[in-house]
Amino acid sequence: MDLATLTELLSATLRIAAPLMFAALGGLLSERAGTFAVGIEGMMLAGAFGGALAVFATGSTAAGLAVSLLAGMALALVVALATTRFRADQMVTGLAVNILSLGLTSFLLRGLFGGRTPVIRLPTLPAWPVPLLSDIPLLGPVLFRQPLLVYAAFLLTIPVALFLAKTRTGLMLRAVGENPEAAFAVGTDPQRVRVAAILVGGAFAGLGGAVLSLQEVGTFTDGMTNGRGFIALAAIIVGRWNPFGAMAGCLLFGAVAALESRIQGWGLPVSSYVVQMVPYLVALALLAGIGRSARMPGAIGVPFVRH
Amino acid sequence: MRTLAMTAGAIALALLVTAGLILLAGKSPVTAYGALLRGAFGSLDRVAFALNKSTPYILAGVGVALCFRAKVINIGGEGQIAVGGIAASAVILLAPAGSPPVLMLALAMLAGAAGGAVWAILAAWVFIKRNVHEVLCTLLLNFVGVLLVSEVLRAPLGEDGAGFPQSPLFPRAGWLPKLIPGTDLHIGILFAVAAAVLGHVLLWRTTFGFRLRVMGASRPAAAYVGVSTARATFAVMALAGALAGLAGGIEVSGVHNRLIEGFSHGFGFNAVAVALIAGLNPLAVLPAGLFLGFLEAGALAMQREVGVPSSLVYVIEGLMMVFVLCAVGLNARNRRV
Repeated sequence: MDLATLTELLSATLRIAAPLMFAALGGLLSERAGTFAVGIEGMMLAGAFGGALAVFATGSTAAGLAVSLLAGMALALVVALATTRFRADQMVTGLAVNILSLGLTSFLLRGLFGGRTPVIRLPTLPAWPVPLLSDIPLLGPVLFRQPLLVYAAFLLTIPVALFLAKTRTGLMLRAVGENPEAAFAVGTDPQRVRVAAILVGGAFAGLGGAVLSLQEVGTFTDGMTNGRGFIALAAIIVGRWNPFGAMAGCLLFGAVAALESRIQGWGLPVSSYVVQMVPYLVALALLAGIGRSARMPGAIGVPFVRH
Repeated sequence: MRTLAMTAGAIALALLVTAGLILLAGKSPVTAYGALLRGAFGSLDRVAFALNKSTPYILAGVGVALCFRAKVINIGGEGQIAVGGIAASAVILLAPAGSPPVLMLALAMLAGAAGGAVWAILAAWVFIKRNVHEVLCTLLLNFVGVLLVSEVLRAPLGEDGAGFPQSPLFPRAGWLPKLIPGTDLHIGILFAVAAAVLGHVLLWRTTFGFRLRVMGASRPAAAYVGVSTARATFAVMALAGALAGLAGGIEVSGVHNRLIEGFSHGFGFNAVAVALIAGLNPLAVLPAGLFLGFLEAGALAMQREVGVPSSLVYVIEGLMMVFVLCAVGLNARNRRV
């Protein structure tokens, strides 16, 4: 493998990992507060749709990002209400929201334009090289010649990690995820913390969807997230519910996916379908590998009941 | 009675919200729902089409209901259906010409069930032995199972020169017989009815069913009273996988008469929806599955006639699930107090 190929591969790894990063960090917040984030797939899809539609209508990327954030939050609100107020099963509510999102985005795409699917073709966001740093050999093009949202995705890990580890609110959030009764006893309302975590998680996942539709693909198609939300979920577990761990997980899946799309060109005797299976099998193998050692947040999946 | 009323309420609410969306799309909900009803019940052919659509949802839905009863969240229906379809197709396509149809079909359906069961057991193994959440195991294997269909269609089972990834048409002996001659209705619906009835008996009248229910109430309690939760998990997953695999075999042999790419698309999640709407009662999966089958059949007609996108079905389904889940959660809360 020559240097150019390697550079290109590593750079693609980061680009593919960026939407996963947003979704994984969002899901991580929700899960650390005690709510499974199965719905991030649907929230990503909603964000991808909202973002693409807003840019299509207004031409403004900022508007696209704002709408994608709101779209993710709107679905998150459904999850938050159902799982806290109504104590609905978290896993299955997540699945329901995913189906809802698939249907709504596909319906609105046609319904809003009189039954005809509009051709949404948006210019993908350009690379934004960091002055000086982008001239470093190998590292420069890989790390510092990326579109803005790629930097944002990775930089977001730092405030999320600091928030969870160093702030009082972060401590409260973790307490609610581990032992909501104890958190309640010291004056925290676990329901409110969970709702807030789910909503912020939805906003992140929505942004992740926008990264996909605005930056990587430049359009919206039905069900375009195609399991990326679930891969982000796997990354959270592989990273043991730690923001930097999740980042490592996302980078790994990004690398596998980057390899996947290039392996065809190398003329290896493997069919594209088998190659497409690889990320899922790698996720499964990794999860099976860490298996018992992964400790979930203690109260995840358990609705808080005020006695 | 109470749950029935709540389910009806959830369905009504979902249809109401959806009516708003139809208005938003600039169409009349009355016209749209009218077209939907005609599309579902308008003629014998439409009914046959809807019954065929319901069949895999009911079969896989019964399995999901049994799993969920034991708090084993198996959402791997799609992969299990896909692998079952592959196994059944392989038997039909590779059987020597002139094999007796009854034997060939019986073997094909058995192979389908076995294929689905193997896929489910694989997920159960990772879940039990490696302690990975079953939602993720079954989900990840869905993607692999669906890609496996494309892969076998590329090489061993694919039709040469077809523009679409599909197998050659099955020989006549490999077509599931029709229930009503002259329509498309095949005998699959009989399997579905049998599965619902047997699932009901299994859950409520056998020791195994009791174990599942105890496990669903509390895993530690089940272990305490001597239930091997690992063995019960394997068993219920294998059963659900077999039902889903059978659904896959029936779908390829009865509907398409060939293996085609994407034949299982969305079936697994529909099975979950159906099981939930049925309140996890195997017998109630029958009407719930029929409801969804007729809804989808009607929605396709609605799209053709009124131009309302048929993806609306997913909206109705998702909303229905959310409302039912909220009702169930609310109910549990009231009981606790």
